[in-house]
Amino acid sequence: MMQELTYAFPILSWLVFLPLIGALIIWVLEDQDLIRKSALGISALQLALAALVFKDFVPESPAMQFTERLAWIPALGINYHLAIDGISVLFVGLTAFLMILVVLYSWDTVRVRIKEYYIALLALETTIVGIFVSLDLILFFVFWELMLIPSYFLIKLWGGGAERQYAALKYVLYTLLGSVFMLVGIVLLNLNYHDWAVAHAVQPAYSFDFLDLLAVPIPPDQQLLMFWLIFLGLAFKAPMFPFHTWLPDALVEGPIGMSVVLAGLKLGTYGFMRFSLPLLPDASTNSHVVTALMTLALVGILYGAIVALIQPDFRRLLAFSSISHLGFVVLGIFALNFQGLQGSLLTMINLGFSTAGLFFVSGFLYVRRHSTDLSAFGGAAKQVPLLATFLLIIGLASIGLPGTNGFVGEFLILLGTFQAYWLFGVFAVTGVIFGAAYFLWYYERAMFGPLSPNFPRTITDLNAREMIIAVSLCIMIFWIGLYPSPFLRMMNGSIQALTERLERGTVATATGTRLEPRASRHEARDPETNNAAISSRGPRLASRAGS
Amino acid sequence: MTFTLTLSPADLLLMLPELFLTVWLCVVLIIDFSMPRFPKRNLAYLSVLGLAVVLANLVWYDRAGVTGTLFNHMFVLDRMAIFFKIFIVVSTILVILASIDYVKRFKFFKGEYYFLVLMSALGMMFMASANDLLSIFITLEFSTFGFYVLVAYLREDPASNEAGLKFFILGVFAAGLLAYGISLVYGETGKIVLSDIASAPATPGLIIGYLLIFAALGFKIGAAPFHSWIPDTYHGAPTPVTAFLSIAPKGAAFAILLRLFFISLAAFKPAWVLLLVLTSILSMTYGNIVAIAQKNIKRLLAYSGIAQIGNVLIGLAAGTKMGSDAILFYLLTYLFANLGAFAIVIAVGNLINSDEIEDYNGLNRRSPFLAFAMLVFLLSLAGVPPLAGFIGKLYIFVAAIKEGLYTLIIVGLVNVVISIYYYLVVVKKMYINEPVDNSPLVVSAPMQAVIYASLAGTLILGIYPQPVIDWVVGATMMFSHIVAPTVAVVPPIIGG
Repeated sequence: MMQELTYAFPILSWLVFLPLIGALIIWVLEDQDLIRKSALGISALQLALAALVFKDFVPESPAMQFTERLAWIPALGINYHLAIDGISVLFVGLTAFLMILVVLYSWDTVRVRIKEYYIALLALETTIVGIFVSLDLILFFVFWELMLIPSYFLIKLWGGGAERQYAALKYVLYTLLGSVFMLVGIVLLNLNYHDWAVAHAVQPAYSFDFLDLLAVPIPPDQQLLMFWLIFLGLAFKAPMFPFHTWLPDALVEGPIGMSVVLAGLKLGTYGFMRFSLPLLPDASTNSHVVTALMTLALVGILYGAIVALIQPDFRRLLAFSSISHLGFVVLGIFALNFQGLQGSLLTMINLGFSTAGLFFVSGFLYVRRHSTDLSAFGGAAKQVPLLATFLLIIGLASIGLPGTNGFVGEFLILLGTFQAYWLFGVFAVTGVIFGAAYFLWYYERAMFGPLSPNFPRTITDLNAREMIIAVSLCIMIFWIGLYPSPFLRMMNGSIQALTERLERGTVATATGTRLEPRASRHEARDPETNNAAISSRGPRLASRAGS
Repeated sequence: MTFTLTLSPADLLLMLPELFLTVWLCVVLIIDFSMPRFPKRNLAYLSVLGLAVVLANLVWYDRAGVTGTLFNHMFVLDRMAIFFKIFIVVSTILVILASIDYVKRFKFFKGEYYFLVLMSALGMMFMASANDLLSIFITLEFSTFGFYVLVAYLREDPASNEAGLKFFILGVFAAGLLAYGISLVYGETGKIVLSDIASAPATPGLIIGYLLIFAALGFKIGAAPFHSWIPDTYHGAPTPVTAFLSIAPKGAAFAILLRLFFISLAAFKPAWVLLLVLTSILSMTYGNIVAIAQKNIKRLLAYSGIAQIGNVLIGLAAGTKMGSDAILFYLLTYLFANLGAFAIVIAVGNLINSDEIEDYNGLNRRSPFLAFAMLVFLLSLAGVPPLAGFIGKLYIFVAAIKEGLYTLIIVGLVNVVISIYYYLVVVKKMYINEPVDNSPLVVSAPMQAVIYASLAGTLILGIYPQPVIDWVVGATMMFSHIVAPTVAVVPPIIGG
């Protein structure tokens, strides 16, 4: 069944804790320049580790790879279990990629409490990578909650807006409210496993391990309860339409670095694909659930786009476009077919380049005018042609122009949605049109036309550091846009496995091969297979279990 | 009825920790009387030394598996009693260390302060071993007497006097309830040993008796609606006494509650679950909501303490072996986080002579160490991972969800969110606001020791709790006979 591959050294633990080590190093440093350089060095090292993961990742495979598994609190069935598969691998790379850009961006834009800023930023990176690589639900939850602490300080201490105090608190309390319900859902999953383990005399009696939970049947009516509880946690974090009110505040009031992370890394929808769908397939395919969620997604798409249309402030516009884009992701996920899931996953990655990229650009604008409001601009393209160009490229990627990454993802989502429920697809297409409208309209008013009289002549175009950020984002945008197959190949195996799982449900899985995963994982610990991990031919991944 | 008391010297060894402490506290008192030149600070270290010996003795008993009963089952030494004794001794050691600077404020009776703290600790150690109604009454009163004096120790301060008076009057009232409840239970059953009264049929007199006993114990742990003494007493008492009062007596009272509910009342479980659920919901909700409005950090911690006790009661309401494990573990996490927070209140209070939350503005600028430690303790109290409080809450919630107490859990979780709010208000003042006075704050060595010990406890119980979980699971082994009624884990819901 579920195959697990190990790696020559605990690379995922390094990915998780390297930023934290970096934060500790920065703690003892005093020199500001040295602090910036160390933060950059740590981020570069992190990116190198992520590149190594990409190099040795086996594409087209449903296996859990780079597995690390240690008992943490056996009494409650909590393990330190890290692994990635096609669903999570791209996020790990994306996090490392965005973080180094944020460090670069913050180089001269963050001027107060520099040391604390980089400590908070690196701590945040630890928690986010932790979220993406955890396969134990409590470990996942620990990182999920822990993320709030650096975020709270980042918004509150380095936010630019006047309402940042309120925004930070609102963000923390809202997401926390969602997560406590999610915790109940997680505990119910564990207890369901416990009942089954006791009835079948299987050890361990308790487990929060994703792979253990996959192996037991869950009655469909209980799945529904668990699904909605976990849904609340994910929906608040994502945030999905009726739970979104904290997002515009946090994105507008917080610092650019935090907005990039919040808008670029789609933690909530990742949670759907990672945990909700595979663990609760019968609830996820339940027609009421699908209709409800697709409706919410559609309302989110249209609501976000229409509200974005009338925003004079660029960051607020981006916040609402973010809600709209998230609707597309959810729509694709609950199309529940291969194209939909693939498109959603790719779109989540794409948003990390396009929406996050637009936040960087809004930062560039803000640095120049201390405002992103329309009234501060007008005809700016004449004065800052490079900035205007990059804003256009990234913006077009965000509205899904063919040739950019946005198109591939959105196309797959719409394809999947039309196959599943054509009516939702039709409405979603209007969302695409609105998306083009709000961006292009803003762009036209801010960048073209006569140069605004109150636009100072002294304003300069992008500097070298900003060019690095913009160019690297554009490279990724066109790479995925023109040649997406390496990325799709990485995710395909896991998505295929997920669609099969959705078709079978938990009960069918459980009758045939219930005990196999656990049994095979134990026998995989024999020295021979571990030797294979050290041999250097081919990818340095060794199979721990036959499929 | 005839009592035959067979007692060999070897039996008395079961009480060795208590006997040693009795001798030791007399030594402390005699030294204080007879050697006026002896520095009071050294009396504190002497007390800590004695407690350390007691602690070593208890750990040895625990490892060696020493158990038994004395005086016709009045006194029981089992692993749970040892756990609670260790709990009390550790908190007493930390409180004494945290008191050293504060005691300089007292004009008189500096030496007797340590004697009274040790005496209360002794009383609570007996409470942990109380196994019949009579010893419950005696030990509970014994442990409270020391506190009556301690709470009113700041003689010049009207708030301290008021606190002492309130605590005394309500405490005596609770003692009256307890005595009356015990007399009813004894009248109905004719027995006093907790395991003997278990088989009695439920008569109205018995029920009223148990309710009165519960009310008295509820007073002791400060659960709503028996909490009314807590805010003013915590506020007015000397801060180290408040810290002591907020932890050790609650632990000792839970030893009695566990024995009472899980041994004497095991058969009536369906009846008392509702009682505990209501008390728990009331404590959590009332404590957390009122805490939001507090301006004084001691009052804030007082109300947060009421809410925390509500959390512990969730474990009692679960009424299973797992629930009792969770209670023990949770109390330990509460010990370190709450004591650590109070240690910082004491340290800051000594330095700037204020307990107002306003005066915590910019604490990070003045002492990054104090601010960071306070952040950790408050987040642990709030239950943020990976700190001790999170594992404690998770443990309690798992135990309760397993019993299907959904309403309770949802209320509990919403309360977690509320509590985060007021803890974050303090965090904000420490980290975001600018201080009025920028002078750095220097913390004394014993105070640092207390804070570091609490930090270590909070982090270790959060990051590597397994050894401690093994310990608490072993300590409550006697409750393993309590079999959960077979209920479906998840109630079926309509639809789908």
